[in-house]
Amino acid sequence: MNGEAPAKASDDAAFVEVLRFLHREAALLDGRDYAAWLGLLTGDIRYVVTARVSRPAEQGPLDYAIVDEDADTLGLRVRQISDPKLTWAENPATLTRRFVSNLEVEDAGAPNHHVAHSNLLVYRQRGTAPDGDFYAGRRRDVLRRVDGSLRIADRLVRLDHNVLFDGSLSVIL
Amino acid sequence: MDDVRHTARGESWVDAAAGTVSREAFVSDDVFRLELDRIFHRLWIFLAHDSEIPSPGDYVVRSMGSVPVLVVRGSDGELRVLLNSCRHRGTKLCRGEAGNARHFVCPYHGWSYALDGRLITTSYDGHLPPEMDKADWGLVPVPRLETYRGLVFAAWDPGVPALSDYLGDIAWYLDTLFWRSPQGMEVLAPPHRWRVRANWKIGALNFIGDSQHVRTTHAGPITLDRVRSEKDGFYVTGGDSFQVVTDRGHGCTLTYLAPGMKEENYLTHPPALGAAYAETLGADQLAMLHHLRVFVGNVFPNFSFIESQVALGEKAVIVRQWQPLGGTEMEVLSWVLAEREADDGYKQRALRHGFHNFGAAGVFEQDDLEIWASATQASDNPIAQRYPYSFHSSLPFDRSPCEQGRWPGTTYRPSNTEVAQFAFMRRWQAAMGSPDRA
Repeated sequence: MNGEAPAKASDDAAFVEVLRFLHREAALLDGRDYAAWLGLLTGDIRYVVTARVSRPAEQGPLDYAIVDEDADTLGLRVRQISDPKLTWAENPATLTRRFVSNLEVEDAGAPNHHVAHSNLLVYRQRGTAPDGDFYAGRRRDVLRRVDGSLRIADRLVRLDHNVLFDGSLSVIL
Repeated sequence: MDDVRHTARGESWVDAAAGTVSREAFVSDDVFRLELDRIFHRLWIFLAHDSEIPSPGDYVVRSMGSVPVLVVRGSDGELRVLLNSCRHRGTKLCRGEAGNARHFVCPYHGWSYALDGRLITTSYDGHLPPEMDKADWGLVPVPRLETYRGLVFAAWDPGVPALSDYLGDIAWYLDTLFWRSPQGMEVLAPPHRWRVRANWKIGALNFIGDSQHVRTTHAGPITLDRVRSEKDGFYVTGGDSFQVVTDRGHGCTLTYLAPGMKEENYLTHPPALGAAYAETLGADQLAMLHHLRVFVGNVFPNFSFIESQVALGEKAVIVRQWQPLGGTEMEVLSWVLAEREADDGYKQRALRHGFHNFGAAGVFEQDDLEIWASATQASDNPIAQRYPYSFHSSLPFDRSPCEQGRWPGTTYRPSNTEVAQFAFMRRWQAAMGSPDRA
């Protein structure tokens, strides 16, 4: 399996619960409600974003991390972009709109543990630039139920980008 | 100041006496085209680290100014740099950015080349006239190629001096980053690559010595630096800190810990690697590294490095190529390196923390890039270009280097003046003014 599609699909109840969770999470990030967003993470969160090396197809895909955070370093990153005194890249704030789609939820064999694959498209507009930019990729999330609510325990975002556009990635994907 | 030359058309963008530089130098496509001719298609340009292509047939695709090249390891183990363009009709032999090949086959008409660039077959050799000698139609090799401590440099002007002469005194400092253990450094992952709508020289200036931007641009990560906030004054721009300028416009800035700090709070050498350092470096170089907090520099024109403490006793070395794409745009390539002798856990932490700070999503990077792009955008108009950029804070200092002469190159204190940046600009002007000056 290449990590893009699950071997066995979950039942509908799990699918709906995960879909609601991802939609709510996207709304929190678009609304820059980082305090609430941090509440959706487990204490042992791993958050990884990769880009792709362009190379001959017969040699297979090669991804490399451009973000690789644990709870500690992710907390620093989020504090920086959420405090106007501590960021220039996000002050004025960039405008973002996240589209989460093509969800597939794996049957992980445990009701308190879901593995969700989804497509992510983030429109991002910076300053007064008339044209926005897009980040596109495939997410693989491990969601765990903690105290009755789903939390993100592991997120891998495999971006469909080689050379990143326009400066540095300063938002959460 | 006497190294400022005018171009054939009399252009001079650097006013050495006034301490100013024309904004045109940072936005103009005409200036960019002259830079390609006088600098990037002539001088030594950094391309790769040899650990990126360890095996025969490994290659990476890089740029020297506007020239796409293959950096390839041959079946004989030798590195070569070849123009990535078929001799028949110009097609790129390699259209990705990295890979492994047994030979290079052009996708257009099937001309095939060996890893050393030799033309093997045109697929229609029987149609060739007898006066066409295939030996003359191999991939174009770059005339000069040398490595220094694993760093691969190439130049299109066959007359450039030997790389060690070109590097001069900066080599002593490069050794403390790239040759401080017997096995040397290795690249930990493919380079991050991103575009910035800013002139490439802003990156070079930022790395050669711009301590003045740190507190404003990087208020975020500086404030959030846990180690520092526990101990204010964790590092200083006065005291032992200094800037270095060497011949040919190279330079670096060394920022040391504030005196009187408790040793256990700022271990600057990885304890596990201390013995390896002592095996390789001289006593002077070890002394230079002692209590060094941030080490940043640039080799003219567009090769930069920064060493940053990522955790107690752990350091990442980041290497940069500022690849010009025009007057107002560049592509940045950024690698993270560590000592080959380090264990896997150390390397993983160095990589993660290295690009957490400096990379395609770096917490330092994101604020730099926003600011560089805005400087470029606001300067890209004729009214703004009536008003030059200020490098004034170099002038009170650049005629009075430190006397002690302890380190190679010319050293200046304090470390937060614009001496190294203005030396870079004077060297840039000299290179633009005279095609013969390598």
